[in-house]
Amino acid sequence: MNGQAMNSTMQAEPLDTNTAQATPLAIQVRNLDFYYGKSRALHGISLDFPERSVTGMIGPSGCGKSTLLRVLNRMYDLYPGQKATGEVLYDGQNILAPGVDLNQLRSRIGMVFQKPTPFPMSIYDNIAFGIRLHERVGRSEMDGRVEDALRRVALWPEVKDRLQASATALSGGQQQRLCIARTIATRPEVILLDEPTSALDPVSTARIEELLDELKTEFTIAIVTHNMQQAARCADQVAFFYLGELVEVDSTARMFTTPRESRTQDYITGRFG
Amino acid sequence: MNSQTATRTPSSRSRSLAAQRKMMDRFATVLSWCATFLVVFVLGSILWTLLKNGLPGLTAALFTRSMGAPGQGGGLANAIVGSLLQTGLAILLGAPAGLMTGIYLAEYGSTSRLARAVRFVSDMLLSAPSILIGLFIYMVLVAPLGHFSGFAGAVALAILAMPIMVRTTEDMLRLVPVAMREAGIALGAPKWRVILFICVRAARGGILTGVLLAIARVAGETAPLLFTSLGNSEWSLDMRRPMASLPVAIYQYAGSAYQDWMQQAWTGALLVTLGVLIINIVVRVGIRAGRT
Amino acid sequence: MGTEPAHTVTRYDQELDRLRGIVARMGGLVERQTAQAIAAVVDQNEEAALEPPELDVEVDTLERDAESLAIRILALRAPMAVDLRLIVAVLKITGDLERIGDYASSIARRALKVEPLDGAMSFSALRNMGRLVQENLHKAIDAMACNDSERAMEVWNADTAVDELYTAMFRELVTYMMEDPRKIGPCIHLLFVAKNLERIGDHATNIAERVYYAVTGEMLPAVRPRGGAARKGN
Repeated sequence: MNGQAMNSTMQAEPLDTNTAQATPLAIQVRNLDFYYGKSRALHGISLDFPERSVTGMIGPSGCGKSTLLRVLNRMYDLYPGQKATGEVLYDGQNILAPGVDLNQLRSRIGMVFQKPTPFPMSIYDNIAFGIRLHERVGRSEMDGRVEDALRRVALWPEVKDRLQASATALSGGQQQRLCIARTIATRPEVILLDEPTSALDPVSTARIEELLDELKTEFTIAIVTHNMQQAARCADQVAFFYLGELVEVDSTARMFTTPRESRTQDYITGRFG
Repeated sequence: MNSQTATRTPSSRSRSLAAQRKMMDRFATVLSWCATFLVVFVLGSILWTLLKNGLPGLTAALFTRSMGAPGQGGGLANAIVGSLLQTGLAILLGAPAGLMTGIYLAEYGSTSRLARAVRFVSDMLLSAPSILIGLFIYMVLVAPLGHFSGFAGAVALAILAMPIMVRTTEDMLRLVPVAMREAGIALGAPKWRVILFICVRAARGGILTGVLLAIARVAGETAPLLFTSLGNSEWSLDMRRPMASLPVAIYQYAGSAYQDWMQQAWTGALLVTLGVLIINIVVRVGIRAGRT
Repeated sequence: MGTEPAHTVTRYDQELDRLRGIVARMGGLVERQTAQAIAAVVDQNEEAALEPPELDVEVDTLERDAESLAIRILALRAPMAVDLRLIVAVLKITGDLERIGDYASSIARRALKVEPLDGAMSFSALRNMGRLVQENLHKAIDAMACNDSERAMEVWNADTAVDELYTAMFRELVTYMMEDPRKIGPCIHLLFVAKNLERIGDHATNIAERVYYAVTGEMLPAVRPRGGAARKGN
């Protein structure tokens, strides 16, 4: 009897909500409100991003998931009229506070975009660009860093003979892996991905997902995706956003088998009308 | 029966509508062809006239000898060099200001009040009569110093070239995707670095095209030079003194009563046209190469 | 389940409805099989005994239909949450229903070989057990059709009574056989019938478990509360 009972709890473990909270948190969002001018895009979001795990953010278009991502590296600062209130704690510091060194923050919280964005320069320089921003690196060390970054994203074998060729000549999937390589080359702690595979074919998508699995052993990853299957495949915990609110956050397995909120259920089962 | 007629009516109606549309299409096509032909014909006849009248004067002496009195077998060497010098200096003066203003408008000013004012003034300069620029420089640089100069001519041309470069630079930078800018920022790059090493790099083909277009535009300008560099029949490389230029020489020679001067005016016009044509071709080839 | 708004893709809803329909038909058939099998034994009704094996063919076909449709939906629609749970439950429930049909057929085939034992309480015990199992099966199928987790819970708890009845019958029949070896033949048949009924009850409980999972998303513990007597009996 006892043994069987233990067995049943062990089987239930992957569904357990509390496992995620046992790991330390990389980023804590507390009561975050966000405004585009006068319109409010996020309503009192509180969300934890556990270290070295993948947090998936899903929800219909305009639900605020990308907005949240752009708060985490203060990307919204580029645009006057966008404003965030509340707290985003990263490394013991509220990154929304004035006086935060944004360039340094962004070097620690990297971002990859929906469309691949190779810079108009060689493959080598694309990677070196980011490194040079923050470090003074000698020629041979730079070569090593570039190779390492390209190897990490499994792009090295494909480009090692044409490092000086223009990055724009690569295929879409290669470009996106180059962008990820460029991001990890600066040795960040957190990587934000904004629908990184929505412009890619299934094979390239699978490669990126495989890559995420490896990267999460070292980085904290937050990924926004429209593809629920992708969130199911890649994420350790999933947050569902709707109309600027965080409706539900839970372990991925729970989220896709037994969501608590009916809005979540309606969305992930395709019942939104 | 009834249902059959009901189904037939709309189809016959659509058939007549289709015929009507086809007619309109043909009519518009013919009209476009005629208009195109007219334009090409006018341009062709200009070019042909230029070639017919200008080619006979295209001799080695034209490039080696300076302008001289009628009948003495002078050339256009000093005018050609003068044009090159003044245009070159004009671009040297105008390009940095033009490009940087373009960068400001696209990247920094955007919708600010100052940027809107600058954009408005620049667009106005773009369509301002060029003789006005000449007069302005005359008042600012020639009258106070008491003499005409090649430098004054170059400044006048620079003012003409600037708005073209401002406009193309701004437009080309705006074509750079926002995502590219954000990607640079997301790596932790300061804004100036993103602009200089990413945006300008991405837009460099278009920006260069703008510079070449500006050269083509100012190389043929006469009016702003009349009150500034005046023209000079002697060989001179001194920018502080009056300086010859092809357009002004053409202006002088074409209005004269001498056969050989009129011949050289034609040939000079041919040279300017060919120069502009070559620049345009370079621009087009450059754009095509940049695209692939 | 069932009370949610419609899917954006109408065909998806239609497929899920078809799947529910198949399972409902299977449930109806299996209930009938069980009822006829019990009637065949208890009332020694020859006609009733013929029906369950005949119905079995259709039940098997329906099971295969349900399975292929469920696989199709899994492959094409990538169902999530409540839909996923429904499909997983359906796959399991159809298996249980098919087994129940088999047990009913086996009871029916044995029905006429069972002889009422004079003076024994076993036949009335069998009648009681049959009624209880039928009731539970009916409730389980009902819970399935109405997505009623509470009724499913009732079934889950009620199986204890069936188990206890079976244990009592088991003891009684063993006693008979020891008393009179000539009764071993009919007693064995009776014991098998009782055992099959008990198995039907177990599968009804399984169905209830699946329904409970599909509706609430929670799995009931693997160990069902059983009567202590039943434990000892086994």
